[in-house]
Amino acid sequence: MSRGASSSTPGVGGPPAWGTVRASQRGRAILRDPARVWQYFGIPVVVVVAVTLTVTFVSGQELISREERALNPDLLLALGLQHVRLGLTVVFWVLVLSIPLGVMLTRPWAKPYAPAFIAVANAGQAIPSFGLMVLFAIWIGTGETAAVAATVAYCILPVLRNTMVGLNQVDPSIIEAARGMGMTKRGVLLQIELPLSVPVMLAGVRTALILAIGTITLGALIGAGTFGRTINAGIIGFSDPVLVTGAVAAASLALLVDWAAGIVEDFVRPKGL
Amino acid sequence: MTDTEETAMPASESDPPAMIRLEELTKVYPGSEEPAVDAVTMDIPEGEIVVLVGPSGCGKTTTLKMINRIVEPTSGRIRLEGEDVTNVDPDRLRRRIGYVIQQVGLFPHRTIAQNVGTVPKLLGWDKQAIEQRTDELLELVGMDPATYRSRFPKELSGGQRQRVGVARAMAADPPVMLMDEPFGAIDPITRDRLQNEFLRLQEDIEKTIVFVTHDIDEAIKMGDRIAIFGNDHRIQQYDTPEMLLSNPVNEFVDAFTGTGASLKRLNLTRVRDVALSDWPTAAADSPREELQRQLGEAEHSFLLLLDRGQRPLRWVSERDLARPDWTPRGGLKVRAVVEPHVTLHDALDEMLTSNVGVATVVDERGSYQGVVDIDTVMTAVNAMRAETRERVRVAPWHGVAASDVADASEARS
Repeated sequence: MSRGASSSTPGVGGPPAWGTVRASQRGRAILRDPARVWQYFGIPVVVVVAVTLTVTFVSGQELISREERALNPDLLLALGLQHVRLGLTVVFWVLVLSIPLGVMLTRPWAKPYAPAFIAVANAGQAIPSFGLMVLFAIWIGTGETAAVAATVAYCILPVLRNTMVGLNQVDPSIIEAARGMGMTKRGVLLQIELPLSVPVMLAGVRTALILAIGTITLGALIGAGTFGRTINAGIIGFSDPVLVTGAVAAASLALLVDWAAGIVEDFVRPKGL
Repeated sequence: MTDTEETAMPASESDPPAMIRLEELTKVYPGSEEPAVDAVTMDIPEGEIVVLVGPSGCGKTTTLKMINRIVEPTSGRIRLEGEDVTNVDPDRLRRRIGYVIQQVGLFPHRTIAQNVGTVPKLLGWDKQAIEQRTDELLELVGMDPATYRSRFPKELSGGQRQRVGVARAMAADPPVMLMDEPFGAIDPITRDRLQNEFLRLQEDIEKTIVFVTHDIDEAIKMGDRIAIFGNDHRIQQYDTPEMLLSNPVNEFVDAFTGTGASLKRLNLTRVRDVALSDWPTAAADSPREELQRQLGEAEHSFLLLLDRGQRPLRWVSERDLARPDWTPRGGLKVRAVVEPHVTLHDALDEMLTSNVGVATVVDERGSYQGVVDIDTVMTAVNAMRAETRERVRVAPWHGVAASDVADASEARS
């Protein structure tokens, strides 16, 4: 490794060390691993096959006008985008709420309160998600806001718990060494503890993302349009083509989001761990 | 421990000034009746290695951690270079003090270079200065910068990690380093090598070092002075290794320094400090008759053959020379070769494994200097004994222990 290469590595006055991924290098390493290749290319192939089969099945059917309307490509695209947008909104609020909370609850002064917060987060997940949707709809009124709020409550636990686990598993001797060299508490948190917790936190975020995409589908029942609306239309109208289209679309979306999250996870994990 | 003033000054007039002074330093952990460290007062002279040693739970580590205030003292004062640092901003204080711990605590997500550059970066050095300093330090601890600077800690062995830990502690050239069992988790062979390297390094850098260990042998090897902590969380004796071994102030110290004190004292002398014995040598390419003549004249039953660079090659006996198929490759291989910086203890150890019963001394280039035999060792032991007896007699200043020391030396003579 030449001097030039090492000085191009930031970290000294640059962004935090986990931003210093040499993407192309990592990409090459991944392509050499057959298991990884399967993970990276297998899921898209499965999704493409499922979508193709569905399109073939639906286009072979005689559709009545109500079905035609439900399967209008423009409508499906709009519902898909709304589905993704709502899912990402949920994850955004989950991150904003649970990471600072997780950090706070692992500070020595707040440790006694941690069980109480965990209990509340547990309750959010223990209540059936459909029940939670209805409760929020009664409270806030039907629409996107209630659907997002209910899903956020449902998805907080994995990120909160993994943030706390991630921070707690950092080797105390690393923190002692950092403090002993004169790093401030804030410096230790931002430069040592959080980067070292990233792998565990990411696993939680990925779980929350999948939960969000799945659970927000139920939002259709309280007026938040997603692929859930297509499924619902299929159930109400006793229409197999609409039902199958909605179900395959929702499932494919969940698979693709999980696939994308897996790739992101591989690339933002700090090197050296 | 009634007379604080004198406990603080175990040194004679010629000693360097105190870099660190601890005054009545006490730590009582919340919820505990008994103090973990009870009114420790000591001076740590500039440029010396002071070892804190004692059984588990005696307070040695707590004392160390109070110096950089990882543990906040309950009462007492800490002075660094004369300045009272008991209440200054601990983060700023710690950047002036190197800190090495047993588990090393390298940052796994940062490269070796980034790890070593931690404190300079905190102090706001520019990038180029940090890079230059990092390479210099890696070089200093014997790790090739080009090979290692971009690696991550998990790619290094335990010994290499501890070297990086030491380099990281020295990064901003702090006058003081605190080392908490730095070689404790390393295998014995590597530990021995790291200790030797560190001692050689210290000869150049002359830092003031406070070193904690539970191993009295390591304490004797590393320490210019040793403070032995007892189960009462106080210092029992704070003294040079020689004095500690020859004049323990109480039974606790005597028991802790253990049996085999004479053997341990061999750790205090190095081969270069003693007069080596001569041994008959000859050039390996001399004719056989010449070698036989020389061996006949010698008082020893072996002749040491040297190559053209004066490097020891083989031991040959009369029997070897008499063999019809004699070549200069005959005889015994030279084992037990030592360099002048090794301790007499290690030289004795080598000697016992040697096939001729002596350790052969060579300089850095490998050329023959002389041998260490049992007489060399005996002479050194006797000289040391005489020297300590002399020091005890002319130095009755020993506050805590003056009477005990006098008793002890009387009892001995």
